[in-house]
Amino acid sequence: MFAHIIRRVLSVAFTFIVVSVIIFLMMHSVPGGPFDANDMPVSAAVREKMMAQWGLDQPLHIQYFNYMWGVLHFDFGVPFQSPGETVVQLISRAWIPSLVLGGTGVLIGAPLGILLGMAAALNRNTWIDYLASTVATLGLTIPVFVTSMLLILIFAVWLNWLPASGWPQPNRWILPIACYAAIPLATYARYTRSAVLDTLNRPFVNVLRAKGLSERRIVFQHVMRNSAIPLVTVFLPMFIGTATGSIFVEAMFRVPGLGAYFVSSIEVRDYTLQMALMLLITFMYCLAYLLSDIAYALLNPRIRLGDSE
Amino acid sequence: MNALVRLAGIMVATTALSAPVLAQTTVVAPSGNSAGTYMDYMKTVYDRGTGSELLQIPIATFDKEFELTPMAAESWSQSEDGLTWTFNLRPGLVWSDGEPLTAEDFVFALQRAATSGYDFAWYWDFAGGIKGWKEVTEGTAEVSTLGLKAVDDLTIEVTTVAPKPYLPSVTSLWYPVPKHKVDELGDDWSLDVSTIVSSGPFEIESWEKSNNSVVLTKSDTYTGPWSPMIDRLELDPTLNAPEVGLPAFLAGDADYSFLNTGQVPVATQRYPDGIRKNAVFATSYISYDLDAAPFNDVNVRRAFYYAVDRDELTSTVLKDIAIPAGSLLPPGYPGYNPDIAAEAVFDPEKAKQFLAEAGFPNGEGFPEVEIWYREEGGYNGAIVPAMAQYLQAEFKEALGISLNIRALPGPEWMDGLRGKKNNIFIAPYEYDYLDPSNFYGIFFNGGRHGYFVPEYDAIVAKADSESDWDTRYGLYAEAEQLMIDQGLIVPLVHPVTIAVVSDQMGGDGVAPNSLGFTQLDRLGHYFFTHITKQ
Repeated sequence: MFAHIIRRVLSVAFTFIVVSVIIFLMMHSVPGGPFDANDMPVSAAVREKMMAQWGLDQPLHIQYFNYMWGVLHFDFGVPFQSPGETVVQLISRAWIPSLVLGGTGVLIGAPLGILLGMAAALNRNTWIDYLASTVATLGLTIPVFVTSMLLILIFAVWLNWLPASGWPQPNRWILPIACYAAIPLATYARYTRSAVLDTLNRPFVNVLRAKGLSERRIVFQHVMRNSAIPLVTVFLPMFIGTATGSIFVEAMFRVPGLGAYFVSSIEVRDYTLQMALMLLITFMYCLAYLLSDIAYALLNPRIRLGDSE
Repeated sequence: MNALVRLAGIMVATTALSAPVLAQTTVVAPSGNSAGTYMDYMKTVYDRGTGSELLQIPIATFDKEFELTPMAAESWSQSEDGLTWTFNLRPGLVWSDGEPLTAEDFVFALQRAATSGYDFAWYWDFAGGIKGWKEVTEGTAEVSTLGLKAVDDLTIEVTTVAPKPYLPSVTSLWYPVPKHKVDELGDDWSLDVSTIVSSGPFEIESWEKSNNSVVLTKSDTYTGPWSPMIDRLELDPTLNAPEVGLPAFLAGDADYSFLNTGQVPVATQRYPDGIRKNAVFATSYISYDLDAAPFNDVNVRRAFYYAVDRDELTSTVLKDIAIPAGSLLPPGYPGYNPDIAAEAVFDPEKAKQFLAEAGFPNGEGFPEVEIWYREEGGYNGAIVPAMAQYLQAEFKEALGISLNIRALPGPEWMDGLRGKKNNIFIAPYEYDYLDPSNFYGIFFNGGRHGYFVPEYDAIVAKADSESDWDTRYGLYAEAEQLMIDQGLIVPLVHPVTIAVVSDQMGGDGVAPNSLGFTQLDRLGHYFFTHITKQ
């Protein structure tokens, strides 16, 4: 296992370099630059001065090495959009609301989804199953901006129970968290249902029943554990996807989070921030898959890490 | 008994303490700008921090009727030869840190703009025509050669390359920069609330950089005209999209909200007295690459001009958000010419005839073209994509022409327009200063469209420096006629923004002007200092 982890860490480093080169090249191949004004150009002399100030007058490969050298020292530069702080400062401040809302959403939605999926599997083809399937299908198919609008309309505008949007008062967090929770809830309900059904049909369950174990012990001790693998596979990537903020949810609920920066950094050619965000996501996904692999081994000893063939 | 008295005492004390807090009026308003780098209008216009212009006092500004009103300047005068303007500043103006506001702060603002990164530098050449501006921004002349001088603490002298009869209206975007702060901290003075100083009616209390929302408060040190009638102003760009703004407004989280077409009936029903319209001084039009086929043929361009049914367009897909445009200048704008606007009729027969003369009877043999528009939010975001689809259907029906549509991000669209990377565009333009030369200037000698039409340029150049206003307007009308006859553009629509205002808001700011329009955030200095809240 240790050797496997080392190998995986090395592959993460390699992925990192490949991704950084690709992103860097793509970023610079898009027409326009950070100092192109929307309507009218700045004069050539002034542009030159600004490009030099940000090191953008250097050849591309030098810019790349300069940037990556900084990254090695945990220096991701200064965002063009917010020159008063560093990229690291920007991300750490903007990530908090996204993490609070998205993270809470996953942490609430996932267990609820598991419960719903189990209820559906154990009561297959009853109204419980149909209800769970309906909820799961709606949760997955209705886009978040529609869910957010409906939630705002019902709870803020019609019932007037909660504020429509905003930050930082905690009563303003409820609706966006509910919105974020919908996707993990629906995803987990579906995955759990099929995984549990799959496990229930396996021969060992009949053996356990023959041994006279109570249905409750069979489900909670044996079926659950054997159904957990697919759930682990989806959990961390979903957590990352949600906890880095959604531009839609953050815009609808006026959350000052990280989500919008993913789009704005591309729109305004904020090279430093764009690069940092992409590297951050790459790093998190690499880490998530590594952790998932380790979790597999812990859950099911038959999965041996690193022992190829 | 004793306890009761004590309780009563506490209650009185609490009420007394909380009374000033309760009396504070805060208006929560949507705000258009969302990029937010520097809280310094004279450093960056397009990416500025929200409300940065409200923090500073301009030389002059417009009231709700678009009358130019002196602000930092008390008065101004033009020299005999028309080339030099003298602005006399109001005595006693100060920065919020107590430093006096002087002519030097205004002169410095433009000197810095000409020499450092400033995305609006073109304005002072194009609109202001300040002597030496082009040379200094291009780095071929010293900043001291600019036609700008602080004669003394209260007097500014501006010299222009040609007589600019409308220069005072250009100064509505001339804000001072605190030279003492820049000397101390460089441009970084405007990055942090603790170092930002203001000279205008508002001061800054807080700035949320993740969404560029700000809280401004009424300035204690401001002595200029138009002091705010509210205590606090929260400007929030995230409320700007009607889809977000209206629910927040209905839930009591915002004091007004812009509306999209779908929301207008609901809002009108619930707040019949709260609906406000604002005609933005803006025009959406079709422009071409005049040098590339098929639009290098005036007959093709004329055909497109006659093939647009503006009345149908603005009564169906753009209902409540636009009015028909027959001319480049919008109604109510100085120099607006109703006669030229009246020429823009929908005449499919005439359109077909022009197209046939160009060699494409019934659109046969006409190449497939792609119309490019700029992806954006705000009123253009509501109008332009819908209009593109309408034009696609209209040109198919009236001319038998297949038009494809492509949306591009701002910089790429601009690059395409200026670099002639496509042959037909939907272009929006909103005024920058209140004079016809503003709109005509964007087609002058290349401009933003790469148009080089010598006859047009000659008329506009003459009009720009003409001091007699009647002659001037006459020349501009001539230029506009040439523009239409040559089919240089197809005027399409003038956008209208529509909003709903809470019944708690009052004051002249929310009352419509004589044309029936309410400015909301467009004339920030007037609007935000002329509103009250119960």
